[in-house]
Amino acid sequence: MFQLDGASASYNGHAVLTDLKLKISRGERVALVGRSGAGKSTLLGMLYEQQKDNAALIPQDSSLVKTLSVFHNVYMGRLHCHGSFYNLRNLVSPRRAEIDRVREITDKLGISEKMFEPVGQLSGGQQQRTAVGRALFCGRDVALGDEPVSSVDEHQSREILRILNESHETVVLAMHDMALALEFTDRVIGLKDRRIVLDEASSDLTTSDLARIYKA
Amino acid sequence: MQFSPPVRASLGFVGLALICLFFADIEVTTIDPWREMGRLGLGILTPDFSAVERLGDALLQTVAFAILGVAAGGILGFSLATIYHLPLVRPFCAFIRSIHEIFWALIFLQGFGLTPLTGVLAIAIPYAGIFAKVYSEILEEADAGAIAALPAGTSHLSSFFYVRLPDVRAHLKTYSFYRLECALRSSAVLGFVGLPTLGFHLETAFKQGQYSEVSALLIVFYILIATIRFWVRPKYFWLYVIAAPLAFKTSVAIDWSNVTRFFAHDIVPMPLRRAETIDFAAISATGDWLWRIMTEQAFPGIISTLVLTQIALVATGVLTLFFFPLVSQRFFGIFGRNLGHVFLVVVRSTPEYILAYILLQLWGPSMFPAVVALSLHNGAIIGHLIGRHTDELPQRADAPHGLNLYAFEVLPRVYGQFLAFLFYRWEVILRETAILGILGVATLGFYVDSAFEDIRFDVALVLILTTAMLNICVDIISRNIRARLRLTTTPDAG
Amino acid sequence: MLRKLIFTTAMCFVSLSLAHAETFVFTAIPDEDASRLRERFDKVAVYLSKQLAVDVRYVPVKSYSAAVSAFRNNQVQLAWFGGLSGVRARSLVEGSQAIAQGWEDQSFVTYFIAHVSAGVKASKSFPKSIAGKTFTFGSKGSTSGRLMPEFYIRENLKAAPNKVFSRVGFSGDHSRTIALVQSGAYQIGAVNFSVWDNEMKAGHIDKAKVSIIWKTPTYPDYQWTIRGDVAKKWGAGFTGKVTKALLGMKDPDLLASFPRKSFIPASNSDYDPIRRTGLAIGILD
Repeated sequence: MFQLDGASASYNGHAVLTDLKLKISRGERVALVGRSGAGKSTLLGMLYEQQKDNAALIPQDSSLVKTLSVFHNVYMGRLHCHGSFYNLRNLVSPRRAEIDRVREITDKLGISEKMFEPVGQLSGGQQQRTAVGRALFCGRDVALGDEPVSSVDEHQSREILRILNESHETVVLAMHDMALALEFTDRVIGLKDRRIVLDEASSDLTTSDLARIYKA
Repeated sequence: MQFSPPVRASLGFVGLALICLFFADIEVTTIDPWREMGRLGLGILTPDFSAVERLGDALLQTVAFAILGVAAGGILGFSLATIYHLPLVRPFCAFIRSIHEIFWALIFLQGFGLTPLTGVLAIAIPYAGIFAKVYSEILEEADAGAIAALPAGTSHLSSFFYVRLPDVRAHLKTYSFYRLECALRSSAVLGFVGLPTLGFHLETAFKQGQYSEVSALLIVFYILIATIRFWVRPKYFWLYVIAAPLAFKTSVAIDWSNVTRFFAHDIVPMPLRRAETIDFAAISATGDWLWRIMTEQAFPGIISTLVLTQIALVATGVLTLFFFPLVSQRFFGIFGRNLGHVFLVVVRSTPEYILAYILLQLWGPSMFPAVVALSLHNGAIIGHLIGRHTDELPQRADAPHGLNLYAFEVLPRVYGQFLAFLFYRWEVILRETAILGILGVATLGFYVDSAFEDIRFDVALVLILTTAMLNICVDIISRNIRARLRLTTTPDAG
Repeated sequence: MLRKLIFTTAMCFVSLSLAHAETFVFTAIPDEDASRLRERFDKVAVYLSKQLAVDVRYVPVKSYSAAVSAFRNNQVQLAWFGGLSGVRARSLVEGSQAIAQGWEDQSFVTYFIAHVSAGVKASKSFPKSIAGKTFTFGSKGSTSGRLMPEFYIRENLKAAPNKVFSRVGFSGDHSRTIALVQSGAYQIGAVNFSVWDNEMKAGHIDKAKVSIIWKTPTYPDYQWTIRGDVAKKWGAGFTGKVTKALLGMKDPDLLASFPRKSFIPASNSDYDPIRRTGLAIGILD
């Protein structure tokens, strides 16, 4: 599915990742761990480039359009499936059928009552759930999430991760919460000092194993 | 479905503009414009620099008026900005900037004649009003924390020079140099009323249909504006100010009796001027006189000014929405963007007065060419600013493309800013409609120009004051709408 | 460096005001193409300078009112005015006099011209069928392009021009009036006969597109007007010298550029008909 063979990446002339060797197969559920700035987002971006047509992306800053409603932001997950004029029509006056389709997802995420409120007026957690909603609405096989549950409580986090797992065949998520990473993924890749320092099955790891990666 | 307040406001404005269209005269009246247009096109393609009489001279004077006007306006405006919070200063500034440079020039022409002082004051005075407003807004932005941290008992003056000024100096400087570019446009346009700047020759060449000369003058003008950052060194600005008067060829001697006569006699309402004593009869005759001006000139002038402004404002908005992607990294590659930049620079550097002049030839004398000229010019200005702004928007790797990107990702994000700029330009467009009156579009400016032509300065003054009041009203409405919609941008355009 | 620059600038101001103090300056109403005016009046300046033995300079202005204002403010001492602008200027400057007019100016005429599409035939009497069409005057302050045509329109059609016509414009000058009617931007226009004849001779007029439909009765028009206080600066009898120089203009080239056959004496009272017409239509107070 994904394959990196000695890839590297740099940002503003500074190397972020070097000599990366990595293979992720269909059906795997992978957690990316590492300190901020370790290159998780960059790695996710490289993976996305490989599977643009199959993957739904949940970027870190969630990249929502704050002035548009939850409905519109979620609907944006399927812009590519319709003609521009159909999309424009839905922008100005959403169609019943599309609202129903979006509601299926927002119901799962518990944000249906905010359906027509501008995203900018929602809490951080609600915004994050909207971003997840957009990815779910894409209906892709692969989900690439950059800390998709960083601003929601533990109960909601579990719910979102469960839904992401349930709706996608392959999942790669950058995560901070070690317990959740072990619980919801079956493989953990640890990044440190611009390279992969850990790549093992979740079942073989404990949270204290992971904590080491965060030490200097 | 409920629309958000900005969308509701926009729809309201579009609706109003559509209603105005019913009342507007937007007929195309020319029967055979193509011969003239063909000649114009050919002329534009074959610029003839040798044809322009005294080109270098006109260029120097254009720059000299602009530099002195900005310097004087800047000093005056800065002084006013420091006392902006005092009563009456704000309305005073609103008043002096609500009168167009051309009208100021027409006023000063009566007292000072075609002397350099007329040109410099015509730029300096309205610019002082604009500077005062913007400088005070910039000074407000100074770091409040740093001011609070000063020891108690620090004087207003000390805190001003120690904290406020250093904090915003760069911003003040950037804005002032942006105004210098505007002043060059203003200076060129002053030529249309007889001052010896580029506009003087441009008007002559246009009138005579010498389009190769027009082309040469416009090209020189574009180059002048495009290269401004190379030939103006902020460090030496004050040296330029001292050197600028050397460019003037005409005498600067002023006959003060002309000035006092203008204020003590010419602008006094005619019935009062003629009356032996100020009694009831004289006052009532003045009332009748004023009533006649208001009903026969001011009122129809206000109506057509507002109609034209409303249509031009909405058309500006629509064009902006087309223009801004042209210079945005999100939509075009480097080649496309550069083409877009050239297009927008040319359109926005051409004073709307000149655009309107060209379009009037093409379509004949109605509001239509005026609307197109105003909206092209202003649309290019706002389009440029919004386009630049889109480059700073957050990008996500999985963003859609083309129309979807435009409608779902970019437009919703920049819409607030777009409206802020547009409402900010509202007052500017209104001011500009006034000078299009000089070209024959029956706005208030048309009646002002007629009053000057009839040497009825008292009537002209009444009409100019009417224009100023109208501008101030629109400014207040625009400020309220911006506040209500929470559009907080302070656009650097004016 | 700085001080030197300030000094030079200051000196420039001084020398400029000195240099111009004794120059006799005149202007003319911009009724035609500016470059043609410049060519014409620069030649006049050379001629007058030779005749009067003082520095004479022509300053171009952009509008009729600017010519009047410059005269009134003593920035020019002599001006080639139209009938209306001359009346205005003399009413504003006490002691100023009309001193010379062109031979043709005793009986000046305005032509009403029409685009072929207007379908108006030439006639001896006022063509009432122009009502409802589009119409352009020349400059707002012009005698032949505004005052007289407006007078005859009001007299014959019993209403103000903006009520009579579907659209009224002011072209700015006579050359533009012809161009605008020729392009069809306006159907009817009013134009100074001398400019029309000149443009016709120069071959600028397409007879298939635009033609004369009516000629107004005659009226007095252009004249040279001089300020009453010129004697103070240029000595007693200066007005007489200027008058003599103007009347003595015999160079056919120079005269052709106006175009006038010759200049003849004029007086303020010659223009009373213009003043009365101006008062009648409310263009003068």
